[in-house]
Amino acid sequence: MATVKGAPLSGAAVIDLKNVSIGYGKDAPPVLVDVDLSVERGSFVAIVGPSGVGKSTLLRVVAGLHKARTGGVTIHQDPRPAHRPVGLVFQDARLLPWRRVVKNVQFGLEGLPVTSDERLRRAEEALKLVRLDGYARRWPYELSGGQRQRVGIARAMAVDPDILLMDEPFGALDAITRNNLQDELRRIHRETGKTILFVTHDLEEAVHLADRIIVLGGTPARVVRDVRNSAGRDGSVFREQVEQLRLEIADNYSI
Amino acid sequence: MKTRNSLALSALGVIGFLLLWEAVARSGIVPAQLIPSPSAVPAAFLTEFRSGIWQAMVAASLSHYLVGLSLGAFLGVTFGTAAALWGVWDACQAWVVRMLRPIPAIAWIPFAIMWFGISEAAASFLIALTVFWINYYATYAAVRGVDKDLIELGYAFGQGGLVARLFKIVLPGALPGILSGLRAGLGQGWMTVVAAELFGISGLGMRMGEASSLLATHIVVLYMVTIALLYGVSDFLFMQVQSRVLSWQR
Repeated sequence: MATVKGAPLSGAAVIDLKNVSIGYGKDAPPVLVDVDLSVERGSFVAIVGPSGVGKSTLLRVVAGLHKARTGGVTIHQDPRPAHRPVGLVFQDARLLPWRRVVKNVQFGLEGLPVTSDERLRRAEEALKLVRLDGYARRWPYELSGGQRQRVGIARAMAVDPDILLMDEPFGALDAITRNNLQDELRRIHRETGKTILFVTHDLEEAVHLADRIIVLGGTPARVVRDVRNSAGRDGSVFREQVEQLRLEIADNYSI
Repeated sequence: MKTRNSLALSALGVIGFLLLWEAVARSGIVPAQLIPSPSAVPAAFLTEFRSGIWQAMVAASLSHYLVGLSLGAFLGVTFGTAAALWGVWDACQAWVVRMLRPIPAIAWIPFAIMWFGISEAAASFLIALTVFWINYYATYAAVRGVDKDLIELGYAFGQGGLVARLFKIVLPGALPGILSGLRAGLGQGWMTVVAAELFGISGLGMRMGEASSLLATHIVVLYMVTIALLYGVSDFLFMQVQSRVLSWQR
């Protein structure tokens, strides 16, 4: 079910990072250097690496929330940081506690030239996508951790972004909920054809979900490995394949 | 403890307190004028009510109170928010605020009278001053305490502009703290009402002053009880509004 709207040629780079380096504060040494990364439309890319390596910050650079120290970021060849067609999903769901679920989902739409009827329609559609129709009138505190994360995904999907940026979205969930949501995310990816950039520290999760895995490591960190992965994608997850990739990637952690 | 039991005990406490008070007043240990007996209060109320003085005094105080409260709360919340959000303004006013803050509102009474005369405006001014500081500090802390991650969320979803950030994230996020400030101001405001009116501005405080100068202490007690009731009612109403506004909280 492809929903590519007015898109450039399929397989064209949606996200382009050229020689990006990232640091915090003016004089501190950079944490992440020499990142060249080109992400194709519709792909599911996982970024893995030990904590503190700058994974989440890299995601924020792509979102236009954090300025790269050097290098360039373009989305559809456009370098402007504002109004990027991205939807963000955070590890802590980050719902506004004073808004009911449906209003939370509409949050990003309020900045767009969309009528309130249309906002509601799109919010309900997004809730259906994450299988939370019927929860529209709930308050966030009434939801479980997994449900909150679903609302976070719906909120990101409601603006119909080209790119879904996910920052360890399942990191705080219990194993069963996490597995469910991973399957849901794969379904959503299949159904909507969104480009997904997914940060995680969990290699199994990366192997399970992504068709491409970028491994960051070292000090300062750089891309140490860029793996094409077919283990998760075709639905036949072979234990050995996962294990082999895991070992291969784990080797690179020590670099 | 069950709510019903605790309610019953609270009521019992009040009755016990009144009985003890009545017993002391009747025992003659202290002169009747120093401790009027509570049973004299209903009669005092009827006299004051029939002459229309009670209603007039309540209406006068209520109007000082409402004007002062709304003015002080509005300015307190506005300045508190501005100082918390805007670093330059915060730095400019930080020391001035620290100088003015420790001065209690009643210390401004001489100036209030010089500026406004013995007038309604003077009373409202003093009440506004009291309420202002409480709301200023409560709002400042509440706005400072808004989760930075939610601000980032605003930027991430195209709601990072000043107006959207203020009304969709900062103020709703700070609302519980702002409402606590308003509630505290509600109580402090009534205390200032009495102090301000004791100087002859028509209202509950003035009537208390008159009564005490005539040693009509049962009338003083009547107006003390009146203030307690007015405070109780305003606090109760405010709590109703608050729990509705904050129904999103667990």
